[in-house]
This record gives sequence, C-alpha cells and structure tokens, in this order.
Amino acid sequence: MSIVDVGLVYGVTVAHGKIHLRLTMTSVACPVADVIIDDVENELDRIAPADLQIQVDLVWDPPWTPARMSERAKIFMGW
Amino acid sequence: MQLAHAAGTRARRAVTPTPLLVLAALMLLTGIAGGLYRLGAMPSAIAGTDWLGRAALAHAALMIGAFLGTVIGIERAVAVKLRSAWLAPIASALGGACLLLGPVHAGAWLGVAAAALFAAVNVVVMRRQPAVHTALLWLASVAWLAGNLLFATGAGSEAVLPWWFGFLVVTIAAERVEMTRLMRRRPAAHPLLFGVLALMFAGAAASSFAPHLGGLLYGVALAALACWFLLFDIARRTVATKGLPRYMAVCLLAGYLWLAIGGIGWSLTALGAPLRDTALHALGLGFVFSMMMAHAPVILPAVARIKIEFGRFFYVPLAALHASLLLRLAGGWFDASLRSMGAVLNAASIALFAVTLVGAAIAWHFQHDAPTVQDILHG
Repeated sequence: MSIVDVGLVYGVTVAHGKIHLRLTMTSVACPVADVIIDDVENELDRIAPADLQIQVDLVWDPPWTPARMSERAKIFMGW
Repeated sequence: MQLAHAAGTRARRAVTPTPLLVLAALMLLTGIAGGLYRLGAMPSAIAGTDWLGRAALAHAALMIGAFLGTVIGIERAVAVKLRSAWLAPIASALGGACLLLGPVHAGAWLGVAAAALFAAVNVVVMRRQPAVHTALLWLASVAWLAGNLLFATGAGSEAVLPWWFGFLVVTIAAERVEMTRLMRRRPAAHPLLFGVLALMFAGAAASSFAPHLGGLLYGVALAALACWFLLFDIARRTVATKGLPRYMAVCLLAGYLWLAIGGIGWSLTALGAPLRDTALHALGLGFVFSMMMAHAPVILPAVARIKIEFGRFFYVPLAALHASLLLRLAGGWFDASLRSMGAVLNAASIALFAVTLVGAAIAWHFQHDAPTVQDILHG
C-alpha cells in the first residue's frame, strides 16, 4: 500500500511553474512526517520537469478519516 | 529543480539530537550492564566499580525511564516541533546520568520533572488532535509520572514497576489503536480496551497498598491486553505483506505472545510463584524490545536523520532475542546458570540489532549515494 492508497495525499496541483502537493498524516504524534515529506519531495524531484518548483505542505484540515482509503486498501484491510 | 520551501525543510531539520541519542544509548548500555551484574554475569575487571553497583540498583529506572523514556520523549519532540518539548528527554537522560554517577535523589526528581514535562507535551498533542490514541498517549505519560513520583519518594519496586510498565504498555497501545483505524471499526474494540486499561490502572494503584491483589489484577489486565492486540491489531493482516511491514508484523505478533506470558507471570508472582524474572523480562524484553525492534527501522530515520536499507538480516537479531529469552525464562526455571546465559545472550541480541542498524545505514548509503559504474565512466 502506498500513501495514496491510505489517503494521505489530499491533492496535487501543477500551476504557475510549481507542483503543489498537500499531504496529511493519520496522527499528530507521528515523528515520521518529515521523512515521508522528504521522500515525496525526492520522488517528485526525480520525475518532474526540471523547471518546475516543488512545494509539499503538511495539512491537518480536514482531518484524515478511513473514508479516504482507496478501495484496494480497504479490501486489503478486510473492509 | 528547486524545492520551493527549502527554508521550511531546513526548519524541519533544525534539531538532530545526536548528544541526546548518545546519552540514551549510554543509558541502555549501562542499564544492560547493571542487569547482567545482578545475575553475576559481568567480567570481574569491572564487577566492583561504583557505577556498576549503582547501575544494578537502578536497572529498571535506567532501562525504562532513562533509555526508553528519553527515546519516546525525543520521538514526541520531533513530532510536535516545539523546542520546549525537548526538555522532557533532556531531563530523563540527565536523571539517568545522576542515578549512575551518585546523586540518586536528584536523578529520581529529574525523572519526575521529565515525566511532568512529557505529560504537558502530550496535552499539546491531545489538543491538536482530540482522539482516543492521543488521549492514551497522555494517559501513558501520567502513568510514568505516577511511577517516577513513587520512585522518588522511596516506594518499593512492587508499587513503582506497574506504573513504569504501564507507561510503556499504554504508549504502545495508543500507537496500535491509531493503526487500527485502517481496519473496519468493530464496535466492541474500544470499550474492551478501555475496560482492560481500567483494570490495569486499578491493579497498578492497588499494588501500592495491596500488592497481592494489585499484582493479580495487573497481570490479568496485561494478558487481556495481549488478547485484545491479537484480536484487533492490523498486524494479523500486514504479516501477509512482505519486506518491512511483514517484519514489523512478526515483531508485533511475537511481542503480543510475550505480553500474554508476562501478564500470566505477573499474576502468578503476585500469588507467590517464583516467576518475577519471567513477568518482568517477558514484558520488558519480549514485548517492549520487540516493539522497539519493529519500529526502529522507521523511527531512527525520523529522529536521527539516518536512512536505513531494510533487509532480511533484521530477522536474525529478532530471532536471537526471542530464542535467548526462551532460554533465560524456560531454561532458568531448571538451572540458574541457563538464566545468566540467556541474559547474556539477550544483551548480545540487542548488540546484534544495533550492529544490524549500523549495517543497514551503510547499506542504504551504498545503494543511494555511491557512484554507479556509469557515473564513474561518464565523469
């Protein structure tokens, strides 16, 4: 399962020379958020055209709920 | 390519707590040394030293408060991104250093300060995200505070240890509850958990004035909590995956079995059976260290900014820990020398895990940073 399957990616926009990705975590007590953001930035850096800026924002509103999970993730988790 | 919020990235990385991590590692090493000294398993060259005698006396305080309390405090400080949140792990690590160096009362009260500060950090966490798992994180910190207050005021181990282990067990429960949100909500799960934890805290509280009853209740609650984990945790599903998630699930499931054994051992000890070592170390090593081995490949990159290349070798120290614990607890039942040998092998398993982490960090470096043949050929 990826962070997209879990529903952590709230949206990606490409406009005005910038890729803007909004990301959440399931818990504010999660110390791994920065590592995940770094990984997202590095992946975007690898695949995006060289002239695009990358912006990854960690957001908490709206809060994550299980309803955000993909069908694939829900099937895997026995929903 | 530019990262638009490079300044923000630097802000996220402002604190890499290397000195604190080194101090926490020292607490672990001295805590283990103290534990081995208790079992007569330390080389005679250092067996008479003052610090080792103090480490033996403070074995549980070093392992639970000074090592795990510091590591958990660091983990939470990294998450909340508040400078003041670092005061908790700084106080717990310095408290442990005092316990080793001589000013034992100062060390104990620094532990109280650490837990109080940590409880305040968890209030911040709870306010940012009001949820069952954040409330449990706060409850865990209160248990640590209760244990440290009892320790500082001279209470005996039968009163202190239930609160200290309560801190660890409820912290782990909080993290697992958070993960169960990925599964379909089962109506009975939360009420059952709250009932089990209420029983656990009742047992911890009663242990101060009615140790037999308190210990019995506490052990029953631990065993019931193990059943709850086995019923409701996502590990039963993620064990069917591969790579790191499967390894973590194996660590968790093995840990839950030891939690059940620790709980049964705790209750039987309260009833008079000679199972104290089983109760304490099935819980401390079998359950808590299994959880630590599960989470270290994920948490270490977050707190130490060191990337890890996961590989199957991680199963070797895990298997060594569980096999040596079995030798210690089952073999120790028949022969005290097997208990000592098991304890030495427990320590060796933890050392092997540390070596594995170092090797995994070097492997990541070679996989991702080392120049490829093409890089070299093309200058």
